[in-house]
Amino acid sequence: MDLMEKLTILADSAKYDAACTSSGANRPGKTVPSGCCHSFSADGRCISLLKVLMTNYCIYDCKYCVNRASNDCRRAAFTPEELAELTIEFYRRNYIEGLFLSSGVIRNPDYTMEQMIQVLHLLRYKHNFWGYIHAKTIPGASPELVRRLGLLADRLSINVELPSEQSLLRLAPNKKREAIFSPMKQICIEAEQSRQELVVYKKAPKFAPAGQATQMIIGASPETDYQIINLAEAMYGKYALKRVFYSAYIPAVEDSLLPALDAKPPLLREHRLYQADWLMRQYGFAAEEILSPETPNFNPYLDPKCNWAINNMQEFPVDVNTAELETLLRVPGIGPTSARRIVIARRNGRLGIAELKNIGAVLKRAQYFIRASDWPPSAQPSKEMTVRALIDPNIYSFGMEQLSLFQDMTGSRLPTTRDVKSITEAVEETVLCLASSL
Amino acid sequence: MSGIKPLAAPADVIYIYDGSFDGFLSCVFESVYSGELPFAILREEDAPLTLIDVRAILTDSVKAERVRASIPSKISGRAMELVTTVFCSCLEKKELKILEFLLQGYREGGKLCFKLGDAVVATLLDAEKHLLREAHLLKGFVRFADVGGALVAAITPKNYILPFIAEHFVLRYDNEQFMIFDKTNKTALVYQNGKAEILRIDYVTFPEISENEARYQALWKQFYNTIAIEGRENPRCRMTHMPKRYWENMLEVSDLLHPARER
Repeated sequence: MDLMEKLTILADSAKYDAACTSSGANRPGKTVPSGCCHSFSADGRCISLLKVLMTNYCIYDCKYCVNRASNDCRRAAFTPEELAELTIEFYRRNYIEGLFLSSGVIRNPDYTMEQMIQVLHLLRYKHNFWGYIHAKTIPGASPELVRRLGLLADRLSINVELPSEQSLLRLAPNKKREAIFSPMKQICIEAEQSRQELVVYKKAPKFAPAGQATQMIIGASPETDYQIINLAEAMYGKYALKRVFYSAYIPAVEDSLLPALDAKPPLLREHRLYQADWLMRQYGFAAEEILSPETPNFNPYLDPKCNWAINNMQEFPVDVNTAELETLLRVPGIGPTSARRIVIARRNGRLGIAELKNIGAVLKRAQYFIRASDWPPSAQPSKEMTVRALIDPNIYSFGMEQLSLFQDMTGSRLPTTRDVKSITEAVEETVLCLASSL
Repeated sequence: MSGIKPLAAPADVIYIYDGSFDGFLSCVFESVYSGELPFAILREEDAPLTLIDVRAILTDSVKAERVRASIPSKISGRAMELVTTVFCSCLEKKELKILEFLLQGYREGGKLCFKLGDAVVATLLDAEKHLLREAHLLKGFVRFADVGGALVAAITPKNYILPFIAEHFVLRYDNEQFMIFDKTNKTALVYQNGKAEILRIDYVTFPEISENEARYQALWKQFYNTIAIEGRENPRCRMTHMPKRYWENMLEVSDLLHPARER
């Protein structure tokens, strides 16, 4: 089998992994600390790393996975030398920032990990490659191998795959919860130790300097959004994860336990999860503030921040000339950048609407939630106007189909797509509905 | 504070300079010492035929040096950084806008740079952001081809970003020889034998690529086409992140620009 064919098969099997970030490693020139996207594929996702599997042969039979043992598909495997050379040649031409290596499980987890370590070792010490490496640890591999992998890679990740133990038992019978969380814990501890050693001794070996990440599949199992973001929050806290990735389930194999093959991936829901994730990491929101046991799912029409604002109108208006940074961050239309700029700019004079506009706040949304030196004007805006400004413009591009995936999950006060013909109509109904509840 | 010179008053005059940074600083000198804020500052090649008084400002390195030294001392180091960056940007009427910023800065001092809501400052900050963003994008979007062991690439950015990506590529390919040709600004970053320089070049013809190079290009295209998930196609999202004006130099998408030409 020639290289072209192998690359096709092994990139095709790796494409469902969401993560492709290259941030967090600081080797001037060789990596970019903030990450660097080299291209964007037709689905709009960033291509930063050469994302491939070592092999797609697999002894496991996880129900949701295209590479499961019982699936009849073409199989291939890279030799370590072949893959190392391909990475180097791509990197030289500035196609990629580095390598993202994952693998199906051949023979047993330890053997698979050894193969992966061999590639990384070749790259680092034979080819003197100091670009970015993101490696997936294989659940069930021995701690010693995880350690060796961590000393070679910039970022490690281990997928939790499904948001609860029950779903894991049902859909991935070969993966034990323990086999996922114990390496996650080990990576967390070793990375922390390595950071402490580096303080004392500059040349101490670096263990996964760009931290660890994980991924879970959304929509293949029945968990609510509330459960999912709580799990994410717990992992950020407990294992110091850098990122949690959410991957809308795309039916790839037929199974009675899974959504039908013609089911659409819940892209809007995935989008809302990322927005909530961002609120937790960058805006200081707690999972409990974003959703609650009473409303366990996202509002399809509003992003989570606007949703919070509407349900907490007593916190507004916020005075941009005096409010703390954390308070500013809660205003719809003000993000981390504009919040920081407001704090700097207001030291040199009071801010009015013109200044806020220059600073980059999105006034279309923010105007209903702030006080500035010349704002608000005397007239109160109608509740309807407020709500209309907050409706997420993205839902028009996601379309009716995506909204309908929320159908059974939204609270009763929002119109369901069954009642309305067009998306504009659905939005209008939502505006009236939300405005009356303000 | 009566010793401070008042802002220059608007005057019906157009300054013409040679396009260099020193030339621009000479214009600043002229403006401050004649007390006039010109109607426009233009490069020689853009000089218009008009009835307005046109004054050619000679590049004077002594005057330029005095202005250069005055910026960090009278305003701030950050102001100097902002001015040099924006001078490389594609901001329309950038010379005049930088001049307005400097005149205001000489009066208000270093705190001007923190007035992020000020219209003059915000314009420059936006231009700076636009340039730095483009430089960051191009760190990823540059595509080299290996021709006889040396790496060559062409780019068509809006801003003059070569000085802002030079260090990155020199550190990345410190053991290679490479050239990045900027078609828009007719300049090239050339790195060989451990030395980098930026040269003015009108055009470059790249040699035919070898069989081995064609093989890697084909592998990369194949990878690019395989990695997208069919069920999630999103052309709009791709264009937001990777604007079409960069596609002509990116081999994995250049074919998509002219689908008719594809065989």
